[in-house]
Amino acid sequence: MARGLAHLSDEALVALVARADEEALAELYDRFNRVAYGLALRIVRDPALAEDAVQEGFLAVWRSAARFVAERAKASTWILTLVHRRAVDLVRREQPRRAEPLESAPQQAGEDTEDEAWLRLRRARVQEALKRLPDKQREALELAYYGGFTQSELADRLGEPLGTIKSRMFSGLANLRDLLAEDDIEREQWKEPRSTS
Amino acid sequence: MERTEIHELSAAYALDALGPEELDEFERHLAHCEECREHVAAFQETVAELAYDTDAPAPSPALRNRVLADARREQPKVVAMPARRRWAFPVAAAAAFAAGCVALGLAFWASDLAQQLDDERAALHRADEVVIALSDPTSTRIPLDGADGILVVKPDSSEGWVLVNGLDEAPEGKTYEAWVIEEGEATAAGLFSGGGERTVVPLTEPVPEGAIVAVTVEEAGGVEQSTQDPIFISEQAA
Repeated sequence: MARGLAHLSDEALVALVARADEEALAELYDRFNRVAYGLALRIVRDPALAEDAVQEGFLAVWRSAARFVAERAKASTWILTLVHRRAVDLVRREQPRRAEPLESAPQQAGEDTEDEAWLRLRRARVQEALKRLPDKQREALELAYYGGFTQSELADRLGEPLGTIKSRMFSGLANLRDLLAEDDIEREQWKEPRSTS
Repeated sequence: MERTEIHELSAAYALDALGPEELDEFERHLAHCEECREHVAAFQETVAELAYDTDAPAPSPALRNRVLADARREQPKVVAMPARRRWAFPVAAAAAFAAGCVALGLAFWASDLAQQLDDERAALHRADEVVIALSDPTSTRIPLDGADGILVVKPDSSEGWVLVNGLDEAPEGKTYEAWVIEEGEATAAGLFSGGGERTVVPLTEPVPEGAIVAVTVEEAGGVEQSTQDPIFISEQAA
């Protein structure tokens, strides 16, 4: 790449995108296209539709970069939020395609680049945290996030009052946040003796 | 809707699990509830981790081109200025540049700052911050008197940076020291050594409205109060 964009943070790239910098958009795409596509595919279950969701998500990045506030959120969170929203919109429009979202996509064996190793670690981390959530909370989060169900649809589907579903999602996310933070602390402690030995 | 109830909706909102009517209602609420905005922001960080539970297969290579083609088509709608003038500053700020101050050099600054600094990680973080500040149209930019450069101040946080072109490295045993001067009182705002084509100095003190920024040469290690004359100074108050 002609310019040194590879070394800029995601947030600085968004600031450049806000100034209509195409190269910065390309760099963001290169950083996030796989996780964005993987997420969209898990939701819409159709490669062409998943690509549409990613395309629309990045178009939203391009259009609304000027409104992104770096102090408020990480750029990666913001981008994945935009892609998720598009994927959920698409799957709600295409009701017949919506399949059971509970089992995750099959694990693919592939060559292990540094990026892939990192993505696998990231995945293992969130899977581990999800496993430790109470079953009903995990179910509510997974059906909502990967299944694209609204809270009212979830209440119908699970035969529970809407209020129960709301609190379940709230406690589920709060617990997941704590579990992920706990995991980070454990990893830090784990690293400590190794680096000093 | 009850207060606790609407609070709980921040989780469903972060998960994109609100129906159209609930979404409208909650977004209206968000517009004036700082507490809920904070909840949502925190939940969104957690929710984004869920996105990584996928084996992240690669999409078709053509998708990259589709994304970039979309952007190119939309270009004129994104910014009011012509696409080529990526780093053009507002007219008023440009007019304020003193004759001889190399405005063009400044215009290039932000876009190749990363390259200039790309082997120093700490410097890169600084580059990030200043790229963000420079690309924020609400930032204040004040030319320097006595050197080729500008003072950039973010209005919300009063964080400031001094950017200088072609500043000689400080002499052996000496350092440059930045000062924020407000109502006649100077506060030390960071040491730096200069040298190289471009120097980026993140100020360690906020630059409040009405303050000016000056730079002196001091003994290595810096001083808490200076008796030196500034070698350069911001042209006007921030």
